[in-house]
Amino acid sequence: MRPVGLRGRVIAGFAAGALVLSASMALVSYQLIRGSLLAERERTAVRAAYFNATVVNSGLTGDHPDMLEVLRSLDTGSERKPVLRRAGTWYARSADGGVTASIPEPLQRMAEEGTPGKQRIRADGQPAVVVAVPLSASTVFYQIDSLQELERTFQILALVLTLVAAMTTGAGAALGWYATGYVLRPLSSVAAAAQEITAGDLTARLDPASEPDLARLTTSFNHMVDQLARRMERDRRFAADVSHELRSPLQTLAAAASVLNRRRDRLDDRTATAADLVTDEIARFQTLVDDLLELARSDQPADRRTVDVSELARGVCRTRGISEQIIQGDDQTWSVDEQRIEQLLGNLVDNAIRYGGGPTAIRLGCHDGRHFIEVDDEGPGVSPEDKEVIFDRFVRGRTAQARGDVDGTGLGLALVAGHADAHGGRATVLDRPGGGARFRVELPGCAP
Amino acid sequence: MTGVLVIEDDDRIRLSLVLALEDEGYAARGAATAEDGLLQQRRDPAETVLVDLMLPGIDGFECIRQLRREDDVPIVVVSARDDTHDIVAALEAGADDYLVKPVAVKELSARLRALRRRGRALADPVPSLVFGDLVIRPEAGEVSVRGEPVALTRTEFRLLCELAEHPGRVLSRQQLLRRVWEYEVGDERLVDVHVGRLRQKIEEDSSTPRYLVTVRGLGYKLQR
Repeated sequence: MRPVGLRGRVIAGFAAGALVLSASMALVSYQLIRGSLLAERERTAVRAAYFNATVVNSGLTGDHPDMLEVLRSLDTGSERKPVLRRAGTWYARSADGGVTASIPEPLQRMAEEGTPGKQRIRADGQPAVVVAVPLSASTVFYQIDSLQELERTFQILALVLTLVAAMTTGAGAALGWYATGYVLRPLSSVAAAAQEITAGDLTARLDPASEPDLARLTTSFNHMVDQLARRMERDRRFAADVSHELRSPLQTLAAAASVLNRRRDRLDDRTATAADLVTDEIARFQTLVDDLLELARSDQPADRRTVDVSELARGVCRTRGISEQIIQGDDQTWSVDEQRIEQLLGNLVDNAIRYGGGPTAIRLGCHDGRHFIEVDDEGPGVSPEDKEVIFDRFVRGRTAQARGDVDGTGLGLALVAGHADAHGGRATVLDRPGGGARFRVELPGCAP
Repeated sequence: MTGVLVIEDDDRIRLSLVLALEDEGYAARGAATAEDGLLQQRRDPAETVLVDLMLPGIDGFECIRQLRREDDVPIVVVSARDDTHDIVAALEAGADDYLVKPVAVKELSARLRALRRRGRALADPVPSLVFGDLVIRPEAGEVSVRGEPVALTRTEFRLLCELAEHPGRVLSRQQLLRRVWEYEVGDERLVDVHVGRLRQKIEEDSSTPRYLVTVRGLGYKLQR
């Protein structure tokens, strides 16, 4: 199961807190209100019972008083039912029949012994309170007061309190949601800034004034980016310094080697061979330095301009003495970094020449919203093991090593991948149908 | 024999370049500082000047500006620095071409030959090309705007002639690089900076050009 996020946990915590608080408040309120209302109602019932008992008692004069007439004379309303027990016989108004059964035995015994009492009971399935008032040794006046209405009040009260508790819980959750949103907002801006920085914009910073409570976070974040920018700047300067330091002696070597080469005919065989070695190695050294510096710079964002890539490809073919006929895809005008795409094309073509017997097709086009460049050759192809590492630095194909080929710097395809990456694209190697390798570069940004 | 002056503070590079250029048939000589180079150029002008950018005393940029102030001698920068800022600054100062060290002697020689050819008249010269107030006389190598003669370097003049030969037609930067600089594939910043320099000389307001206009994504054209 996915772990619950910070926001989820905070919301749940707020909701649970609100629930506990509001539920206990509701419970306590309910109990207090219920207790005080019931006590009040019972006091009223007792007072009324004593009053009615006095009325009944005064009506019971004479030897054979009419019990029912006396009871009927009471003004009780429908919620109150008077009953009389005299010498073991129940007397009740006709409308109040059956209530005598609900008067509990212990209360009856207590009353007949002369002790007044009251008890809460259920009569006909409804809550009620019965008050017993002994009038004489053989006569007891009972009054049963229905609590039905009060009970309904309690139900409504319970319902209202439950609703309030539920709403409070909901409000707690909403508060949690809002509070986490509020607290997490600066973190979202940190994430946005980090994304910008990853995309190469080292000027992205957080505004420390926007959230004084989070000043430490913004300050340390900005400090980190400053450090990062400084380090990258140092690396860049280092690359530029290395460039100068290596290029100057290489210039001397290149010019001196050219002088040597001019006089090759006049050299003896051994010296001529040595001169050739020097010349060749200088050329390789030069390419290596160029490629290394290019690679060191390849993480910089692409300098995009509108470029006629078909024309670039034709230029690449012309400089290498390859027929321009193999290019498929005219008028490919893309928004790319011209120098890098030219080098990318050149490196793919050089790779095909070096390891695949020369390119057989160069395709340019647009597919699924992405520009693509494909360079085919009919060489031995690329083995599955080599496919995984062929775009790494200083990797040369096994076939090349077997041939003892040392022309390449081992950086050409790493640069291809680096340039593709700088454009947000990628480089892959496939099998060409019918044998050979197919190098494919995809770059985003092609309008359908 | 044509003279090439190599202004380069690194003794070994200067010596090796002079030796190699002599092998290629140029009368090459060196100068270790910009001051010495400027003095030599004044006393005995070479046909082409190679300049390094990092020089003691007067730096390469200032050296190019001072050379340019005196005449239109073709200037080629040969520098180890390859960032856009330096390239554009050197071209804006007046350099005709920019090569990054280490440059092969064959390539350097090809660039020098292309520069020399640039001085010659067009293959099919016409007496004059008129674009409103702008008058170009390819044969005489003269340009005038509103009757006033304008001094252009060879590269600027050749660039203007290429555009003027195809009035109203767009030429891509690569096409211009091939025709003017004789590059198979070259650095388009060369074209952009030279177009900027040309505009400053022929346009009334170079930020809103009337003759030499940019066609976004395609290149440049000269319109009547």
